[in-house]
Amino acid sequence: MMRLALLLLALLMTPLAQASSESSWTHEFESGYISTQSLIVEDTIFVRTSGFWTGEERPIVAAFEVETGSEMWRYTSQTSLQHDMAPLLFVKGGSGACGTWNDLLLVGWTDGKITAHSPTNGSIVWQNQTEVELLGITGKMALEEDRVIVPTRTGLSSFCLADGTELLDVDTGNIGWRNGVTITEKGYVYGDEFGYLHEVDRNGIVSSTYLGEGKIRHAPLDTRHGLFVHLQTSQGSTMYLNGSNIGIMGASPAMPLFHNDRIYAATSDEWISISCDAQSCSVDSIEPFHSNGELALRIVDSDVEVWAPSNTPSGGWGVFNETSLVRYETTVFDTYGTAAPGFGSGIIALGNDAGILSVQYQATTESSSEPSDIDAVGLLHYLSILLFFLLTCTSFAIKNWQQFAKTGSAFLLVVAIAVVPELSVKLAEQTAFEQSVEWDASWPDEWKETQVIVFEIDGKEHVIGGLEPQDTVYELTELACELLDITTEIEQQYLGAYLVSFNGSVGDGWEFTIDGNWAPIGMEDAQLNTDSIVEWRPV
Amino acid sequence: MLSAIGTHGPTVSPFAMGLLNAVLFAVAIWLLVKPQQKSETWLWPLFLFVGLASVSRIAMSFIPNVMPVTIMAVMIGSKFGVQRGISFAILVTLASNAVLGHGWWSLFQIIGWASVATVASVVKVHDVEGKLLLNRLAFASLWSVPIFSIVVSISILDSGMSMIEFGLYIANGLLYDVLHFLGNVFFAVWFGQWFERLLSMNQPQDRLVQQENEHVSTF
Repeated sequence: MMRLALLLLALLMTPLAQASSESSWTHEFESGYISTQSLIVEDTIFVRTSGFWTGEERPIVAAFEVETGSEMWRYTSQTSLQHDMAPLLFVKGGSGACGTWNDLLLVGWTDGKITAHSPTNGSIVWQNQTEVELLGITGKMALEEDRVIVPTRTGLSSFCLADGTELLDVDTGNIGWRNGVTITEKGYVYGDEFGYLHEVDRNGIVSSTYLGEGKIRHAPLDTRHGLFVHLQTSQGSTMYLNGSNIGIMGASPAMPLFHNDRIYAATSDEWISISCDAQSCSVDSIEPFHSNGELALRIVDSDVEVWAPSNTPSGGWGVFNETSLVRYETTVFDTYGTAAPGFGSGIIALGNDAGILSVQYQATTESSSEPSDIDAVGLLHYLSILLFFLLTCTSFAIKNWQQFAKTGSAFLLVVAIAVVPELSVKLAEQTAFEQSVEWDASWPDEWKETQVIVFEIDGKEHVIGGLEPQDTVYELTELACELLDITTEIEQQYLGAYLVSFNGSVGDGWEFTIDGNWAPIGMEDAQLNTDSIVEWRPV
Repeated sequence: MLSAIGTHGPTVSPFAMGLLNAVLFAVAIWLLVKPQQKSETWLWPLFLFVGLASVSRIAMSFIPNVMPVTIMAVMIGSKFGVQRGISFAILVTLASNAVLGHGWWSLFQIIGWASVATVASVVKVHDVEGKLLLNRLAFASLWSVPIFSIVVSISILDSGMSMIEFGLYIANGLLYDVLHFLGNVFFAVWFGQWFERLLSMNQPQDRLVQQENEHVSTF
């Protein structure tokens, strides 16, 4: 019986040796982009598509089970046409002066409709119509007590959450695009395509301020020093704080964020961190980056993470701390993107212009009081080490040598299981051959100080550089093959990830070098520097 | 050593792999049916061992190099001889790699465990009366590791690899050899007597009773 229990314990510990605790699923929509942040609410992910719609194609809103990725429901608009870019808004059930409502998923459409859906089955609970001038609703909505504030194409409306009754309708005459609304002490603020900032009090009285020639395509940020607006201009963009110019930046600004006295913004040229002190706000840090859509904030172990989608052919997401780029997150399907990631507890939902939703479970989770599975296994392992150590000491003390041999061997084994894999990788890195690889003069200078990867397939060399830094040979290979249109066949075998073929070429096998050095570890374990040169050649 | 591999041996086509497996299986069966001088009742214990070794190897595949197969190969080789030991190595490798993945390495794993069983048939872990000697089994935990590891490591040798590189490769795997050794010791100390009873299950009852009376495992 004791032996059986021990065998079970050993089997329970097997996940410790697994390289990764991540798992994920993806869903590819038939057509359209994912241009707005997916919402993760408990066990459900809500996502919408946008884009140009021809023929029978129409934009949709869909709900998926977080755990399995199975589609729970989808709602297709038969009347909305294009650029459905108003972010989804989830409303918890409640009651107010205008009535009582259950949980709702609010959706603004470019045909001017606002629809309130049941989150469980997608059925329409209520709907209403706003003004249309070619387009309808494209901006971010906001909640205030028992009503939703909706930036319309030519103004602003508010609707009762209980039944959709229109409570307020303001028309400024100027059209807006992605003209998100912000709720302030005085009322509601939003911008338009002509550089005007409109402040509407709760009685519907409008006061407008002209900032300059340009377009306001985000919800203004309400700081203690006044409203922050990133105005898109014909030359680039201008940042305004309380009507004063605080900086001229690159083109096509993203939608800025405000958190803990810092404003985070981005353009086609840079990512910007603006620090606010007691007197004012000023640019604190600028990092080269290309982001034009939504930014998202995540707090991990009390540290700030700002996620910015890279709106470039290689796509991906830059993850910044308060002042600088920390890392780059990528998926195998990266391409242009403007949608911010949706965050749940230990879950990230990534969407891009290819209409692919990727949901990833990560070992690094948001601050949570619930221990993860990995923690539980780690704890079990720790306890088993402790237990066998105590039993070994006890056996030694009572001079029971047979028992000492048993508990001692088990103790050494559980310790070794914890130590050996990582120690081995470190040792392999230390003892790898030190050789140098020559820079090929035909490679563009822009590739210098970046990762470069070379494939020699059927005698022909394929090479690409200037890529966003990847952590391992495996990741860089996947990314490069995607960009170079090289097909790969990779199998998970006894020896780990095994590269079977490039472009169907199997040969006698493949091997890689890093900076000219043969790596005595697997491609999943082989770590890269930001300027590593990787070469894949047939054996 | 296996888990530190960065390159791989030649890729074997599915047809060649199938053919190789069929040949190996035929060899295993031939070794089983080929008459042996000893009159030990080995068939069912050996099949039981093959099943147990395969299942445990698959179940523990996520812990690199920790599996009871090596120590079982030692016991089979010592008790039933080289012929049954090789057969055991072939059957376990074919069965477990059907789940874990077949390849060029399968051949070397078979040779590795068969070599261990062969050495064990000479350096026995049983006394003349067929009783398991735990001290020798614990010692076999040590000597079996380099035999198996070196044989399996040969699978990655190719024309482009110098002996220095191969030596470095072997050195990089030493930590995993330590893990293999500790796993062997663990299985020998904890399960050695139990394995022995399984191997002796078809022996005459009086011998079993005698052995059971002498068995003093207390934990």
